[in-house]
Amino acid sequence: MDIAVAIVQTIIVILIAPFISGFSRKLRAKYHTRTGPPIWQDYIDIYKCLIREDVQTKDSSFIHRLMPPLYFGSMIVLCLGVPIMTRFCPIPVLGDIIFIIYLLALPRFFYTLSGLDSDNAYAGVGGIREMLISTLAEPAMILALLVAAIGTGSMNIGAMGEVIAGLGAHSPIGVIVAAIAFALACYVELGKLPYDVSEAEQELDEGPVQEYSGPSLAMLKVSLSMKQILIVSWWLAIFFPWGSALTGEFIPVVIGLFWWLVKIIVIFFAISIFENAVARVRYRNVGAQTWTMVGIAAIAFVLCIIGI
Amino acid sequence: MGYLIVSGGVSIVGAIVALLCSKAEMTAKVVGCLFGIVSTVTAIIGGFVAIFGQPEIVSLTSWFAFAPFSLRLNPLDGLILVVINVLGLAGFIYGLSYFDDYKGKGIGAIGFFLNLFMMSMNFVITVDNAFWLLVFFEMMSLTSYFLVTIAQNEQSRHGGYMYFVMAHVGFFLIMIAFFIMASVTGSFDFQAYRETDFGPVLSSLIFLLGFFGFGCKAGMFPVHSWLPQAHPEAPSNVSSLMSGGMVKIGIFGTLLVTLDLLQSCTVEVWWGIVVLLIGAASSVLGVAYALGEHDVKKLLAYHTVENIGIILLGIGTGLIGIALENPAVAALGMMAGLYHLINHAMFKGLLFLGAGSVLFATGTRNMDVLGGLIRKMPITSLCFLVGSLAITAIPPLNGFFSEWATYQAMFTAAGDTNWWIMIFMGFAIISLAITGALALTCFAKAYGITFLGSARSGLVEKAKEVDFPMTLPMICLAIICILLGVCAPWVEPFVMGIAGSVSGVYGAIAGAGVVVNPNFNTAISPLLAFILLIVMILLAYGLRGCFRKGGIAHDRDPWACGYEPDQQMPVEAFSFTAEVRMFFTPIYAGRDAILKLFAKFKDLFHGIQHVADKSQSWGDFAIWDPFKNFSAWLGHVCQRIESGNSRYYVAYIVAGLIVFLVIAVTV
Repeated sequence: MDIAVAIVQTIIVILIAPFISGFSRKLRAKYHTRTGPPIWQDYIDIYKCLIREDVQTKDSSFIHRLMPPLYFGSMIVLCLGVPIMTRFCPIPVLGDIIFIIYLLALPRFFYTLSGLDSDNAYAGVGGIREMLISTLAEPAMILALLVAAIGTGSMNIGAMGEVIAGLGAHSPIGVIVAAIAFALACYVELGKLPYDVSEAEQELDEGPVQEYSGPSLAMLKVSLSMKQILIVSWWLAIFFPWGSALTGEFIPVVIGLFWWLVKIIVIFFAISIFENAVARVRYRNVGAQTWTMVGIAAIAFVLCIIGI
Repeated sequence: MGYLIVSGGVSIVGAIVALLCSKAEMTAKVVGCLFGIVSTVTAIIGGFVAIFGQPEIVSLTSWFAFAPFSLRLNPLDGLILVVINVLGLAGFIYGLSYFDDYKGKGIGAIGFFLNLFMMSMNFVITVDNAFWLLVFFEMMSLTSYFLVTIAQNEQSRHGGYMYFVMAHVGFFLIMIAFFIMASVTGSFDFQAYRETDFGPVLSSLIFLLGFFGFGCKAGMFPVHSWLPQAHPEAPSNVSSLMSGGMVKIGIFGTLLVTLDLLQSCTVEVWWGIVVLLIGAASSVLGVAYALGEHDVKKLLAYHTVENIGIILLGIGTGLIGIALENPAVAALGMMAGLYHLINHAMFKGLLFLGAGSVLFATGTRNMDVLGGLIRKMPITSLCFLVGSLAITAIPPLNGFFSEWATYQAMFTAAGDTNWWIMIFMGFAIISLAITGALALTCFAKAYGITFLGSARSGLVEKAKEVDFPMTLPMICLAIICILLGVCAPWVEPFVMGIAGSVSGVYGAIAGAGVVVNPNFNTAISPLLAFILLIVMILLAYGLRGCFRKGGIAHDRDPWACGYEPDQQMPVEAFSFTAEVRMFFTPIYAGRDAILKLFAKFKDLFHGIQHVADKSQSWGDFAIWDPFKNFSAWLGHVCQRIESGNSRYYVAYIVAGLIVFLVIAVTV
């Protein structure tokens, strides 16, 4: 158990989160043939939010006040457990896949509740959609993880990464198809176009986020960006762990950090190419698309049963 | 054993005294509740003695020579006793204030039936004889029927009728199972059944009858429709007792029949698969139907169906493990099922008491006219929030731990056994995942629409926080929920021990504050997660509090794109329902199709009734009517002789005399 690694990686993720969202923003501007804001714009935005007034609606309660710190705190706890710079989990008891999936439900629950609490119609609808999108994405996620767990013989993210890195999984083709299905399900969870239904800027005016301002908004923005980074890191830790440190020594960890940054930037670059090429999915059709992802995961499951 | 008998005696005395005081309603209420409190505390002590002590069986002769009154106390009985009586204790303390709502509807009768209900549940769990189990089962059904219909309106009568019919269908199936066993062994005593090997055909038949019979009481999928119609109608503390306690007797009965009474027979794999599939169906369908409700108590009742499904998933996996002689799967599955049984009782009891407080304060159960109760009823809303977090399996509360254990059992079964078990396990795992996600949506709706936002009607304005007798049980149950989750590594060995005493298989998975699944090289630590979450959230709160330069305002209108915000704009319960229906249409289409089928059955039933009515008079028509007509015609003919004219009578006398003279001369 490496507490130092856990703390360092949490601080790094918090500091990098606005950079990643600023990076996506800059790339979108370039695809729209604009100059766009500087890459550091999100840091400047956070500073501006911190000095502004924090406004709540008159009928909201402590749930609305509680949600941003709760989201931030949950993301920190998740950061402590996900392998980012190392192949193993820095704190193994926080690295169980079922624990992570259900811990993601805590901030999501309060996100929806705050949407209902603020009495804002758009926030309420955004909250409901957040719940439903994750409901639809979860079966594909769990089925893909089941295949990976059976293939690697473990349900701890770090241990799964170690087995896959050593190319020792029981049913390799099944695990590869599961990796594809899990990537698709994670993409839905990221909330990037075409699946940004809960924060649909043009439809819903950013959903539950719209009724936050000032320091609460700053904290919420950082937390949402951290969640995206964590979901991508999660996929990387299980299915593409090459480059991360095998021990907790200083030099391997720094090399692991470097390779993680490279992987994250490459993936977010690819994501931004895709997200700027598509429009938002029609809400009605999300169901058909997520059931297709479940179908891909089911193919992976069948391959795993056969043993290929 | 003594504690149990004392508890039963106190209940009977309390019931009679409450009934005698019916005229003085407040006295009846206090007396009934106090006797109930004493009786439940005694039973809880007895239950703990049974969990930690030696199993014992005591047999007393009764006035039925064929059925001695045997009582049995083993760890499983003790567990169910503790669970049910904790809820009973909470319900009785709650009733000290809640029953004020039932003035004029018979508080004395409520006290009578409630005390007898508790006593009959305690004895259903502990008797060791088929006859007496059926007697107490029937008593349990009857007393709870009267409690369901206590409100005496159309809805409660209909709910009570459905409940009555299904309880007796269950009773009938259990009775047949016991009679089969009695006909083979020649006795009603369970000890005789434990030593007899019934053979594969009979044991499978007994398993199916016992499972579906007790399943009618548990409210599992095919036989669940009575539960949302009956449980909401009872007083809320009775609902919490029925939903949290009585359905557990259904699960207990399944375990009793399958693993205790059929000890000498082999457990088949397909038994476990049947339980697993019914569990998967119950859990998904229960939560899908719950999403369509805007009556808070009906929503909670459907969630009971869902959670019984999750318990059955664990128990089904355990049975599969026992059948395949895989100790890891068996131990994990049984432990997960029993732990979820305890957890469900605690958080469902808490949620029903919360719903009862809302009903007491506002007078309505309809979510669509509530909202903003968090400002009027802070303690209730906080307890309901803890209950919602527990039921949606959010770490580190208790619901999360038992669902984690269920996942571990199913994953272990998928990884460790043959390929066709893997298919069933994959299906079950997906069902549990969908269930968890839909339950989260449902409770976001239930908590958000009822307690958050602005008030949707004037009923909320006059609501105020409920009294101490009602908040105390809620707070205690909330604390129990948190403790059962955070201290899971220390509670789990006891539950594993009880599960092991039932299944015969033990597995050690907890130690040093951590729960481990060695088959899959993974571990969780609920205590660490709890501490980290609290610390990090407080740190984040403090961090945000450092930036107060702009100030905090609490008085704005919600943004409505430049329009004046009005009452119709915020979302309502139907918004949730409409969206879920859009994505999960097949589930609801299934229910509509089944309802149409039931309507056809009802028409068929009415048609048969009609034919029976008509054919009832066929006997009259074919056989008795001709006789009747003939004798009437004969009478009419004979009537013509009595014409009323006295000269004819004189002529009859003369004719008669001539006939007799002729006979006298010739013979």
